[in-house]
Amino acid sequence: MRRGSIASLLGIGIVSGGIAAAVALAVPWLPVSASKEAGRIDFVFWFVVTICIVIFAVVSAAILYSVVVFRAAPDDDSDGPPIHGHTGLEIAWTIVPTILVTAIGIVSAIVLSRDDALAKNALRIDVVAQQFTWTFKYPDANGLTSATLMLPKGREVQLRFTSRDVIHAFFVPEFRENMDVVPGLTTEINVTPTRIGTYPVICNELCGLGHATMRSTAVVMTPVAFDTWLKGQSKAVTSPNPATAGAAVFTNNGCAACHTLTASKATGKVGPDLDKLPAYAQQAKQPLASFVRTSITDPNAYVQPGYPKNVMPQTFGTALSKQQLDALVTYLINSSK
Amino acid sequence: MTAATLDPHEHQLTPAGGKGAVRRLLLGPGFIRAAWMFCLFGAIGFGLVVVFRWWGGWQPLFDMQPITLVSLLVAGPLGFLAGIGAFDYWTYYALGFPTRAEDHSGHGARSWRDYFRVNTDHKVIGVQYLVTTIFFFMAGGFLAMMVRVQLARPGSHFFDPQTYNGLFSVHASLMIFLFVIPAFAGLANFVVPLMLGAPDMAFPRLNALSFWLLPIAGIMMLSSFLVPGGAFACGWTGYAPLCSSHQPLGAIFFNQGVQWAGASSIMTALNFLVTIITMRAPGLTFWRMPLLVWANFTTSLLVVIATPFIAGSQFFSMFDHVMHTAFFDPNNGGYPLGYQHIFWFYSHPAVYIMMLPGFGIMSEVISVFSRKPIFGYRLMALSLMAIVVLGFSVWAHHMFTSGMSSWLRVPMMVTTLLIAVPTGIKIFSWIATMWEGKLHFNTPMLFALGFLSMFVIGGLSGVMLGAVPIDIHVTDTYFIVAHLHYVLFGGSVFTIFAGIYYWFPKMTGRMYDERLGKLHFWLTFVGFNLTFFPMHLLGTEGMPRRVADYAPKFAGLNMFISLASFGLGASVLVFLYNMITSWKNGPIAPANPWRALTLEWQVSSPPPIFNFDEIPQVVGSPYEYGVPGAQHAILAPSPAHAVEEVTAP
Repeated sequence: MRRGSIASLLGIGIVSGGIAAAVALAVPWLPVSASKEAGRIDFVFWFVVTICIVIFAVVSAAILYSVVVFRAAPDDDSDGPPIHGHTGLEIAWTIVPTILVTAIGIVSAIVLSRDDALAKNALRIDVVAQQFTWTFKYPDANGLTSATLMLPKGREVQLRFTSRDVIHAFFVPEFRENMDVVPGLTTEINVTPTRIGTYPVICNELCGLGHATMRSTAVVMTPVAFDTWLKGQSKAVTSPNPATAGAAVFTNNGCAACHTLTASKATGKVGPDLDKLPAYAQQAKQPLASFVRTSITDPNAYVQPGYPKNVMPQTFGTALSKQQLDALVTYLINSSK
Repeated sequence: MTAATLDPHEHQLTPAGGKGAVRRLLLGPGFIRAAWMFCLFGAIGFGLVVVFRWWGGWQPLFDMQPITLVSLLVAGPLGFLAGIGAFDYWTYYALGFPTRAEDHSGHGARSWRDYFRVNTDHKVIGVQYLVTTIFFFMAGGFLAMMVRVQLARPGSHFFDPQTYNGLFSVHASLMIFLFVIPAFAGLANFVVPLMLGAPDMAFPRLNALSFWLLPIAGIMMLSSFLVPGGAFACGWTGYAPLCSSHQPLGAIFFNQGVQWAGASSIMTALNFLVTIITMRAPGLTFWRMPLLVWANFTTSLLVVIATPFIAGSQFFSMFDHVMHTAFFDPNNGGYPLGYQHIFWFYSHPAVYIMMLPGFGIMSEVISVFSRKPIFGYRLMALSLMAIVVLGFSVWAHHMFTSGMSSWLRVPMMVTTLLIAVPTGIKIFSWIATMWEGKLHFNTPMLFALGFLSMFVIGGLSGVMLGAVPIDIHVTDTYFIVAHLHYVLFGGSVFTIFAGIYYWFPKMTGRMYDERLGKLHFWLTFVGFNLTFFPMHLLGTEGMPRRVADYAPKFAGLNMFISLASFGLGASVLVFLYNMITSWKNGPIAPANPWRALTLEWQVSSPPPIFNFDEIPQVVGSPYEYGVPGAQHAILAPSPAHAVEEVTAP
């Protein structure tokens, strides 16, 4: 190989590697990092991207150089030199990639084991997924449930997942965490939130017709604010006043994701508008109280025209205690009047 | 069975004469007999289910699930196959009736009608495969553009959820099972026997049957849109228990469609294996085989070993759905992850089933258009074998976040990353093949270069996905969609286009339009990158795949992708126009327009019905470009060949 060709190869390599590096740096590829685990995963990401850019630069330089330099003249019917191989070169491009991917494997395995390690004071949260809502239970706070994932900043959280129907997946891009929620199994991940804010909780495994709407939010707050929230919630749920308790049941079970209810500032549009419950009951020719109760426990018994069947979960009849159900029905009737 | 008693009947009732002609039309093999036998078999299937249910006292008597399955999806298609004549010879043979004298009337194409019947000529079957698969490619592409219509704006309600989920599910199923896999099978069907110096495949009738299973599978998947309740809508991966117990009737159209396509694949692969092992011309040792033959040999190994696993997974899933078994139903002791393990034990090797034949095409095209021997031939062949072996040990990298045993992740990551090594060897060797060559940029070579650059990007994003921590963040997001399209579109589809352009003169005897070919390449290349590259960004920022709606912050990129995808779709029209007009009116092709050394180019274009007048004697490597006086094979001078040379422009 001539010296000139090495120089121009190097030149093309630097240019194409430079363009790839510019694309990597100029575009905001990753969302903000909001957990300790995210920081480690981002490290692996950029480590691998750097290796990939170098390989891309080498390969694209070789291709571009060949295309430009070895192009045959229009009337050139001759053949190239009969080179059949080069053992040294072939060994090199077997060994170098092997070393690179081994390095990637080692770095990944170390990060994986660090992310999997669980701190002793971890806060446990049980996550229940069903078509198409998330429920977060705090077993250390008398089994308090919430429709949004409230997290204290700086404390490791162990999320344990179960599913009531099909496979879902828990995904918070800002935490860089993704875990399938499988019926019949308990899966778990650890998250240590490091940044106060509100982040989307996304269902990331096709789970049926409402898959795209199966969303919730994760709220990271200061430990003090988190304790205050816990206390306030426990109070509301055990409140003897059905309005307070029913409102808590409504928000904690994610009803607002799909329904509109002015009293609760809910604006969901997937399911029927709960402000119109009395009108619906009339259309269904049922008394309001029993209509509301049946619609929660057996949603397919009567489906308001214009809304699809089988979208509302059929599990609330068993998931809610009788007390909670009573409070919810009373709350809905009072709010829709 | 019924077919057995009908066919000989038909055979005896075909005397000459006007009445006989009508009878032959009704009872002879063909579409008319296929139509009524489809109905007859369907009715028998229907009757069987109803009689059994009545006998067992099961309610309801007319349960649509088993009736549809047995009557429409199993018995009816069998009737169609019997009617079209795919079983005729075997039926006569099995019943001891005199088989038709071997007059080769079912072999080769003398008019266009011969492409529409059971034909045992591997060249006709190859063309049948390609035309059929391009039809399903168009159908699948149309579905993809409908997906992009829905996704152009957030909050759009262009399609209802069931239809939308059906769109991307059927899109993927068609592209995988009815386009990429069988298109490679079609190209190989045409080329491999010629490259081996063989007159045909080892089992021509089995070959014909393999083809006729395909339209059944494709129509089954497409027609699921017409079923009450809508198309199957659980993704082409059909994860249980969503697909096995939470789906309308359409789901079994997927389960059973995969069985027909899978059976076709397995039969073809067996045929290739036997053909390649036993029918090589004298002197054609394994180490003298063109790399396309090596590629199809290794692919067939993968198919024969792996495809039964997807058949199993789909049967279990369908049994859960129709017969209420509980393979994957956790409420009755089933294990949902079991489905994923069985499914990916096929479907990861399937990625290589969709890639290795393309590697073979690349080796032919790059060597011929660089006028140089393939660089490191033996390592190229060995790396194919390495991919086969390693390919069976990486399936669980699709399941890093599935909740499987966590210890399994690191070993699967290591094997996944290692598989980049043989793949890298191939890419470096192709580049070294071009090095110091005399590059001619005809359309096949352009697609080869497009493949090389796009597959590098797809391979590198694959390495990223192989690293578990990165996968944990981007799994099931648009990053996956970008990666898989860089591998399967930038990889497989580009190589299929390269192969079609490369062998078009051999198949049709006419040259394609080079200018339109180049236009097609550039439109595809640019449209492809504009469509799929931005998806990487959507994925790393956290947009999940398979959603009908998304956060407003992704609106701009999605609109851009949708517009680009319509351009990409339009580029296929250039390809179609070129193929159709060139096939009809293109300039007559010489026997060897590319000055290639492999055997298929040493016979006329199109080749004679039995390929070679005399079996050629192979004397050397197929890639000895630039070696003075080198020959791959010595052929007896063929009259057809001589005439061809004279008439060539």
